[in-house]
Amino acid sequence: MSTAAHYPAALTSRSPSSIPWYIWVGALAITSSSIGGAWDVSWHRSIGRDTFWTPAHMAIYACGVLAGIICAWLIAKGTFGHDDALKAASVKVFGLRAPLGVFLAGWGCVAVLTSAPFDNWWHNAYGLDVKIVSPPHALLILGLRGISTGVMFLILAAMNRAAENDARTFKQLQLLLLYVGGLAIVGQMFFVQEYTWDVKLHQAAPYIAMGIALPVLFATFSQASRSNWAATSTAAVYTVMVIAEILILPLFPAQPKLGPVYHPVTQMIPAKFPILILVPALALDLLWRRVKNWKPWQIALVSGILFIAVLTAVEWPFANFLLSDASRNRFFGTIYFDYNSRPTGADRLREWFYPDHGIALYGGLMRAAVYASLSTWIGLLFGRWMRGVQR
Amino acid sequence: MKWVLAFLVSLAVAVPAYAHVGSKDVYEELNAGPYKLFVTIRTPNVIPGVATVEVRSSGASISSLRITPTPLTGEASKHPPTSDAMQPSAADPAFYTGSLWIMAAGSWQVHFDVDGAAGKASSSVPVAAMPLSILPMRRSMGILLALLGILLIAGMAGIAAAAVGQSRLSPGSAPGPAAQRKARTAGAVALAITLLLVYGGYKWWNAEAESYAADLYHPLSLSPTLNGNALDLEIGRHDTDATHTFRARSNSDLLPDHGHVMHLYAIRQPGMDAVFHLHPTLASDKHLRMTLPSMPAGTYRLYGDIVHANGFPETLTADLIVPADMPGAPLASEDASAAPPALSQGELGTSYKLPDGYTMIWDRPQELHANTAYAFRFRLVDASGQPAADARPYLGMAGHAAFVKSDGTVFAHTHPEGSAAMQAMMLANGSPAEMADTGSMAGMDMTAAGSDPISPMVEFPYGFPSPGRYRIFIQMKHTNTVETGVFDADVR
Repeated sequence: MSTAAHYPAALTSRSPSSIPWYIWVGALAITSSSIGGAWDVSWHRSIGRDTFWTPAHMAIYACGVLAGIICAWLIAKGTFGHDDALKAASVKVFGLRAPLGVFLAGWGCVAVLTSAPFDNWWHNAYGLDVKIVSPPHALLILGLRGISTGVMFLILAAMNRAAENDARTFKQLQLLLLYVGGLAIVGQMFFVQEYTWDVKLHQAAPYIAMGIALPVLFATFSQASRSNWAATSTAAVYTVMVIAEILILPLFPAQPKLGPVYHPVTQMIPAKFPILILVPALALDLLWRRVKNWKPWQIALVSGILFIAVLTAVEWPFANFLLSDASRNRFFGTIYFDYNSRPTGADRLREWFYPDHGIALYGGLMRAAVYASLSTWIGLLFGRWMRGVQR
Repeated sequence: MKWVLAFLVSLAVAVPAYAHVGSKDVYEELNAGPYKLFVTIRTPNVIPGVATVEVRSSGASISSLRITPTPLTGEASKHPPTSDAMQPSAADPAFYTGSLWIMAAGSWQVHFDVDGAAGKASSSVPVAAMPLSILPMRRSMGILLALLGILLIAGMAGIAAAAVGQSRLSPGSAPGPAAQRKARTAGAVALAITLLLVYGGYKWWNAEAESYAADLYHPLSLSPTLNGNALDLEIGRHDTDATHTFRARSNSDLLPDHGHVMHLYAIRQPGMDAVFHLHPTLASDKHLRMTLPSMPAGTYRLYGDIVHANGFPETLTADLIVPADMPGAPLASEDASAAPPALSQGELGTSYKLPDGYTMIWDRPQELHANTAYAFRFRLVDASGQPAADARPYLGMAGHAAFVKSDGTVFAHTHPEGSAAMQAMMLANGSPAEMADTGSMAGMDMTAAGSDPISPMVEFPYGFPSPGRYRIFIQMKHTNTVETGVFDADVR
């Protein structure tokens, strides 16, 4: 049943200019929160003191505001308006009509909104949290992820509809999906950053964390985007964003406004050098081209082992380099330390932080491969399901 | 969650405020070169948190006043963060306010940089910071969060149902009965998963709250044992848990303050009609000992002030029962005592008649309000009603004061400079730690004999932390007699 003739505008975008404005705004919103998140962490590592009104916070709130506008507009239009095309491409939730992605993003906005008073109370009750993962922050991150997943579904549904009859729009939406997917990889690496600190890269823990967090997204994007280079492209977005952060942030002067100060800081402190996930991502893409006819569990099993093997093979020696004097420059960024970095700490001394050996290491890496296989399997199934999403 | 919070709140109520008991704010008179600053630092109840700072300037005129917090000792004490300007009040240009962040529990100092008519000067005030309480959630906030939470849980189920039942349908078509069935199942599964996540979050929240509660400040324990009139005091280590290093304070790193490792107040309960200011000596590193003077029988509340090597002051508390047949001994020369009428016999006035004919007078403000900084002035007059010409420093100071609330929830032992421990004050201002011990600092003469007469008037900066009835014990010295004046205050 072809409804394309009936619902031309939003359903089968016939020209590149017909990618709806809200998809662009959605992508902008997620970009803003990604930059805001990186900026905020840097702010806490170099300046420390924080108010509601820091520019980094503004960039994160902007994501919620922009997504809120899109959601409110699309739900109002889908439920009460007369846009038949939009109505046809909508799902119904509690009597309201809009594309699925809108509800996901809207859910994310409510979660972000809820986290604000919760976080404020948390600070008054238990003190300002100095860690990333607290219950109100987890709700905030979940909300931002909801928004990002929602925008991804908005793009995906439009892309899936365009796949049949509009190659140009499809290509544009596919690129946009990969870009937003790349920002999701940035978010995932942001979430596991406490495990992937360079001085911890000779432990099994970072490989386990990345084994759980990354293959699920790479496999999902690969299946959903229908691109042969989905894992490589999204990993490239992460790599470029983090390197850009290292090159740009230290250009701005900053001084700690909080004690205790263990290391005098004079400029914004950027993130650590990106993990070389680009290489295992490329390996996955090359593998997946060749095994399209395998069963998902077979693909998952081989992918998990391959991902951890390649990741360890490149990152382990690269970590040696990061701890050596050779990496002490503006590009690799191992010259930057937080204001509260203890002079006796592993980071300042450029020493391994409790490295793993023997059974702990090899057992850990094997576990990582098992988790990575499971993670890939979930991603493959979810990604295949996503290919069918039309609304 | 509710019972956890109720439990935590009950803990919080019982928690004393380190430097003193129930009196966490710091009141200090600073002389920074030609500038005279009356400083009030209100430390936060939660750490990390914001301390507010108030300064009244009464010396040379000031053009700028900046504050910086740093730990009192250790590596981070060498790297101050950027300072903050204090803001003068529009109505009263000599009154400045500011705030600063205390990011970690422990022994801190606030550094004051003054600029003005008489050039630049600086000084520091030690601040002990510890998490003291957990704020309970207001009902309105709880309801708001619960409603938003229900919306999120229901929303997730609705979205999952829509995703499975409708999102893959081609545009315009309606879901069939099978799709609707699948949608309902998906909704139910999503609801179950979300509820599991919420339960996980609840457990996590409780774990975080309990871990915070475990970090709340508790003083080291003090265990008295009485053998005849030989009093042994054992200082216990509060916690040796290495993961909570800031509350695992040592019980064997005491610094002498005014020449004594402990200033022990014994106050008879419930009437506060017998008070002793005593100085037990170190028998071993965590064990103090002294011979008690003759004391009327009864139950005494003990308040022992100590200072740790990092400048962190604590008041340790315990109860001591003195039997009627306890052998007596004369009071040591630096010790003091008083026997005022019991609290139940009415409020004491502003003039206290001392046993040897001298009188101590309190220039009491008209009204006393809680959380307001005062400089309380006391004068010693001789038997003829003239200002005492033979006033001498007592333990290196013009006087010592103890502010004690009638219900025992507040105890603050303060000095003319203020409520910070003298030893911490010296650490903060770069004086070697041994100086207080030897009494070599100017005006800090520890020896009773040979010191020159001083003014028979003394001022104590202090603010009552809460409304209620307080008893104030003031020690001043003339020739070789240490006097203890007793006054009552009704604070609104």
